[in-house]
Amino acid sequence: MKKLNLTKDQIQKLLLSSIGFVVLLYVYFTFFLGPLNRSRDSMLVSINDLTGKVGSSKNEMLKATNLEKQATAATTRHAALKASSPEGAPIAWFPPKMKTFFANQQIDKATARLEGSVPFKEADLADWMRYNWLLDLPQTDFATLGRAIAELENTEPLLSIHHLNIHASADDPQFQQVNLNVATVMLKR
Amino acid sequence: MALHLNLLHEEFQEQRQRQRDPLKIGMMVLGGLGALMFLYYMWNAYKTLEIRSRLNAVQHDWSKVEPNVTSSQKRSAELNAIIGTTKVLDGMIDGRFYWAPFLEKLSRCVALNAQLTSIDGIVLDDNRGVTVMIEGLAAGREPRAAAEELRQLLLEQLGQGYHDVKVEFKTLEDLDTLANIGGANMAMARFALSVAFHPTAAAVKAPSPAPKAPRK
Repeated sequence: MKKLNLTKDQIQKLLLSSIGFVVLLYVYFTFFLGPLNRSRDSMLVSINDLTGKVGSSKNEMLKATNLEKQATAATTRHAALKASSPEGAPIAWFPPKMKTFFANQQIDKATARLEGSVPFKEADLADWMRYNWLLDLPQTDFATLGRAIAELENTEPLLSIHHLNIHASADDPQFQQVNLNVATVMLKR
Repeated sequence: MALHLNLLHEEFQEQRQRQRDPLKIGMMVLGGLGALMFLYYMWNAYKTLEIRSRLNAVQHDWSKVEPNVTSSQKRSAELNAIIGTTKVLDGMIDGRFYWAPFLEKLSRCVALNAQLTSIDGIVLDDNRGVTVMIEGLAAGREPRAAAEELRQLLLEQLGQGYHDVKVEFKTLEDLDTLANIGGANMAMARFALSVAFHPTAAAVKAPSPAPKAPRK
């Protein structure tokens, strides 16, 4: 092989050419091809993402339609349960309601007193509150009370009696005095 | 062999030097490479533009579908919340203790020679059952036996509808006073019964018919 004899001037020019070549490569990849590839890659990611979303959206809408059909009973039931909480503060309508209810059951002078209210811890019941009431029935007889409690438990699904106290009336042993501690679940208003 | 004299030696030498100029060769190589790289860049740019047009088409599709999807998702979330709430509320409704059937059973157990003076019942939290304190009076030749009869009857009646039924005397004491039943004087005893049970299988609907009243 023939030995390449380069002069000092030629070596300098060769070195300059090499530097120029490196600079060209750097500029090309950093300022031209690199951004273009990045832009292309990000667009491909967006396309995949959107294609996936469009694909899953069809399932999503189908699921919602099916859920709508399946949830018919639950929706009706939920509406009925919501309707059991009339508009307004419970303390305004619940005591008169109980008074009327027991009056219809031939138990007069029934009173209801609010003892407190607490929110539920369950996330599903974030819109609902538990109200604790003390129902006082100063004079009733056992048979009438039994009928009234049966009616109350059957017509008020969101009401539960957690303490019941029946004791003979001191004045008239034929009658009993009754205290009921009840909890009601009501919609927050 | 003929003698060959090169009289233009220096000129040839200079021409050769010019042809071998590394800077010139390097510039040519750089130019060639630059052209290749430019072509490659253009090819990539073309592909990128093609991808951009595809992205625009997909974005257009998505913009048409998105409002429907969002409303579907919102409705699904709403329905799931309704289903969850209804489920929890139904669980509460089914899990509550119905006092009316209990009072009916109790009234069936109280015989003519017994009288209840107080009933105090509590539904314990966390599904731990129900406790009831019953106080009353029993009369008869053997008033304690009458009270025991009531206890046995309660145990039997409540055992039919509830679980882990316990009926125990807290107190049972004779009284000095006499009761007149059917024209005959009978001895009396005062009792206090503690009743405890678990209504796990007792999600019985309260019956509409009235319970039979015990003698008070």
